[in-house]
Amino acid sequence: MPTSPALSPAAAWEPLPAAEWNADAARHLFRRAGWTALKADVEQAEREGLAATLDRLFPAEPVLFPEPIQVARFAEQVADYAGREKAAATPEERRLIQRERREQAQTAVQDMSLRWLSFAAQPANAAYAKWVLFLSDVYVVGFDKVQNPPFIFGHFDVLGRYGLGPAPVLAKAVSRSPAMMVYLDLNQNRREAPNENFARELFELFLLGEGNYTEQDIKEAARAFTGYRLRPLTGEVFIAPNQHDAGPKTIFGQTGNFTGDDVIDLAYDLPAAGAFLPHELVKFYLSDTMLPPEYLLALGDRWRTEGSLELRWLARQFFGSRIFYAPEFRGDFIKSPVQLYLGLVQDLALDVVPVPRLVLNPLRQMGQTLYTPPNVRGWVGGRAWINSASLAARRTLVELLFNPIDENKLNADEQLDLAAAHTQGADRFTVTDRTLQELERIAPSTFIARLETNLLPVTAEDAFSTGLARFIGGANTPPERLRRIRRAVMTLLQSPEYQLC
Amino acid sequence: MNNSSPFLPTTRREFLHLSTKGIGLLAFSGFAPSFLVKATMAGAPAPEKDQKVLVLIQLAGGNDGLNTLIPFEDPHYYRLRPTLAIPKEKVLRVSDTLGLHPSCAAFQALVNDGKLAIVQNVGYPNPNHSHFRSSEIWETASPSDKFLSTGWIGRYLDNACAGSPAEDHDPLAVHVNTLNGVPETFMGAQEHPTFGLLASGIGRKDSEETRKLLQSIGSGGANAGDERTFLQQTLMDSLVTETKVQQVLTDYRPMSTYPANPFATSLRSVAGLIASGLPTRVYFVTLTGFDTHFNQANTQANLLTVLSTGLAAFQKDLEAHHLDGQVTTMTFSEFGRRPFENESKGTDHGTAAPLFVLGAQVKGGLHGTAPNLDLPKNQDVAYSTDFRSVYATMLENWLGTPSEPVLGAKFAPLPLIA
Repeated sequence: MPTSPALSPAAAWEPLPAAEWNADAARHLFRRAGWTALKADVEQAEREGLAATLDRLFPAEPVLFPEPIQVARFAEQVADYAGREKAAATPEERRLIQRERREQAQTAVQDMSLRWLSFAAQPANAAYAKWVLFLSDVYVVGFDKVQNPPFIFGHFDVLGRYGLGPAPVLAKAVSRSPAMMVYLDLNQNRREAPNENFARELFELFLLGEGNYTEQDIKEAARAFTGYRLRPLTGEVFIAPNQHDAGPKTIFGQTGNFTGDDVIDLAYDLPAAGAFLPHELVKFYLSDTMLPPEYLLALGDRWRTEGSLELRWLARQFFGSRIFYAPEFRGDFIKSPVQLYLGLVQDLALDVVPVPRLVLNPLRQMGQTLYTPPNVRGWVGGRAWINSASLAARRTLVELLFNPIDENKLNADEQLDLAAAHTQGADRFTVTDRTLQELERIAPSTFIARLETNLLPVTAEDAFSTGLARFIGGANTPPERLRRIRRAVMTLLQSPEYQLC
Repeated sequence: MNNSSPFLPTTRREFLHLSTKGIGLLAFSGFAPSFLVKATMAGAPAPEKDQKVLVLIQLAGGNDGLNTLIPFEDPHYYRLRPTLAIPKEKVLRVSDTLGLHPSCAAFQALVNDGKLAIVQNVGYPNPNHSHFRSSEIWETASPSDKFLSTGWIGRYLDNACAGSPAEDHDPLAVHVNTLNGVPETFMGAQEHPTFGLLASGIGRKDSEETRKLLQSIGSGGANAGDERTFLQQTLMDSLVTETKVQQVLTDYRPMSTYPANPFATSLRSVAGLIASGLPTRVYFVTLTGFDTHFNQANTQANLLTVLSTGLAAFQKDLEAHHLDGQVTTMTFSEFGRRPFENESKGTDHGTAAPLFVLGAQVKGGLHGTAPNLDLPKNQDVAYSTDFRSVYATMLENWLGTPSEPVLGAKFAPLPLIA
C-alpha cells in the first residue's frame, strides 16, 4: 500500500508533460475514463494529444442518453393507474392494479437499463456515460424505493445536462429531482416535523463528507429544505410557502432566513466541499488507496479558485494530471461489473443482447444492478466488488458471451426482441467461430502476446502465457484447435488480470 | 508426473479439481485441504462435537425497535406513535407489559419454548445517526468517537485462530447475501479465509478446463500491484472452496420447510454448510430494507414476517439435524428508530433497540430493561445495554474466548447462555 505518492500535492495536479503522452498513457486514460482501450481510440488519441482527447471525452455539449419509449409510455400511464386505483371496488382489485403498475415499472426500468448499456457501449459515448454513472454514484437514487422509471430517467438526465457545469447548479437541480425527492423523503419534509433524511445525506454523502458539519447544522438545514413538494402524477416540483420554514437558521455558524439553495451555496463556501468531489473521483476512477487529504484539498482549492467550481474544469484537470498517469496508478484498479461487461462488449465487438435476463442477471450476480445501488452511499467499488461469489459470476459472464444463445429456452417476448434486433442489424450477441478463425493461422504465442497487449493493463505472467500457447499447441485436429483457441481466449478474459484497469 | 501437459496439477491447489471425483483423494491427502480429507475419511461429514457456530443476522437500514418489542401498557408509546402504534389487543405478549409485533408469531412461539432471548434497548454512548458510521461502530465494536479498521469477528479470528495453517482454505467465516461483499465485521489484522454466497447459492456451471487453466496462474510476483495480488489470491482460494460448497449445497436435504424468499434460502444454505462440518465459526446473513422513513407499517410487517418465519424454519432444521446445540444466532441493526414518528407515517434514524438471540443453549425471554419513553418530541431513547456486552457474552460464553482482547475493554457478559 503506497503511503504517499511520489509527486508532491502541488505537482500532482499539474498537466501531464507532452513528452509523457504515449500509447500506454492513452490506454490508461481510456480504461479509466471509459470501459476499455480500443485500438482505434488509442491510435487517434496518440495522434491528437491529451488536451484534444480530453476535449473529445468531455465536450462542451455532450451527447445525452435519449428517453426510452417505454419510460415515456409509463409516464403517460401514471395518471391512468392512479385513477384506476382510486376507482377500484375492492382492496383485492386495488392490489391487482398496484401489482400491474409495479410490474410495468420493472419492465420499463429493465428496458432502460439495456438501452443505456447499448448507448454507453458506443465508443463515442463511453466516457461521458461513465461520467454520469460516476455522478449517480455521488447523487444516489434507487429504483427499489422510487419505483417510478420516468423519475429515475429524469434524475440521470439532470446529471447528464448539468454534469459538466458549475457544481452548485448541479446540486440545486438534484434537490429538485423527483427521484431524489422521493428517495430521500424530501417531499415529506414538513415545517412542523422536519424530515432530516435529505439534509443529512446532502452533507454527508453529496457535498461535504462526515466530520464537516454538526448534528445542529443538519437539523437547521432540514428546516431550510421544508416545503419542497412534488406532484407525483406529473413530476412537477414546487416549494409550498405554507410548508416552508422561512424563519432564521444557523448553519455553519452563519445565521439567516436560508432557503435550500442557500444551504447548498453555504456548503460550497467551505473548503471541504472543494475536496469532496476530488475524493469521490479518486475512489471511482483512480485507486482503492485514498490520496492523503492534502492532495484532495490542493485540487479542491484550485477547483474553487481557478475552476470556478465548474465540473468540466475538474474532469479535465483530473484526467490530464501528472498523478493520474503516475506508475503506481496504472493497471491496479478493479473494474466495476458494468465496466467489465461493457469492456467485454467493446473488446469482443459485440452488441448488447436485447434480453434483460441475459444481461441484467449476470450484472446483478456480479453485484451491480443499474439504477439500484445497495443504499444511499452508492457502490463501494474497487475491492468490494470482489468476493468468491462475484468472481465466479464474472467468469460465468465470459462463458455466456462465448456460447450461442439457445433461442428455444427464451420465452416469446424475448424471441421477438431478439428477432427485432436481428432486423436492425444488431446481431453480434456472442463470439462466433468466424471471429476466432482468423486466429487459427497465427502462431499461438504470437496472438496470445497480441491479445495480452490489447486486453490486459498489466504484463501477464510467463507461466500463464506459455501455458495458454501450449494448451492450443496440444490440439491434434483443426476443430480441436479452434475449440482450444476459444477456451484460451475465454481464460484470458477470466483471468485476474482482465479484471483490472 | 512427467506428462507433457502443462496443466497437470503441480501444487496442492491444483489437485482440487479432483475433488468432485472423490475417489483417489486419500492418496493425495498430504496435499489436499483438510475438509476434503476429513469428509473422505468419515464417509459422511461429521462436525466436530464441541465446535460452536455463531450466526449473525444483519437487519440493514435500522430496524424500528419500538414496533418490534412493544410496550403496550405505556401511554407514552401511543402518544409517540399516533398512526404507527400497534393496538394493545394485536400485540403478541411475552410479558405483562411487553409483546412482539403481530408479524412475529413464530418468535413468540420460540420465546415460549425458551429458545429465543430478547435483549432490550441495546445501543452505545454518543450514538451516531449515519447508517454507515453506525453500522461501522456495530461491526468494528468501536467506541463512537474511535475509528477501527478491523471488525469484531475479524479480531476474534485473529486471536482464536492464530497459528492455523496458512494454506488451509476452509473458510472460517461465511457471508450470504451481503450488500457489499465481505462484511466489515470479518476484517481482521490477519487474512482469514472467508467465503461469500449469493442468496441463490453459487449458481454457476463452470468449465473444468478453464478451472485448470486458471490454476496455472502463479502467485503474482514481486511487481504485482496490491489489487492484482488480491485478485489472484481470491481466485485461487475460491476455486478450492467453490468446488466443495457447490457439492454441499446440492446435496443438502433440509428437514424443515423454508419460506420461499431469498433470506430463507440464505439460511437454508447456512444450515447446509453447518451440517457439512465445515470449520466455519461465523456466518453473516443480511436482510435489507429496514430504513422506513416513509409508510413504515407494511414494510416493517413484511420484513418481520420474513425474519421470524425464516429463523424459525432454520432453527427447526437445525434441531432435526441435531445441530441446534452447536449454533447460536443473533440479530443486530445499526440503530433503532426515533420514538416520535415523523409526518410521513415513518420513523427517522434513532438509537437503541432490542435484538434477538436464538438457540438451544440460550436462556429465553426478556433480558435487560425497557427504554424510558417519557420523552419530549423528537428525542431519542437512551440505551440501557451496551452492544459490546452482548458481543462479550457471545465471545466468552459461546465461542469460549476472552472478550477483552477483542473488544479492547472489559464489558460484563449478560446471562444469555444457559
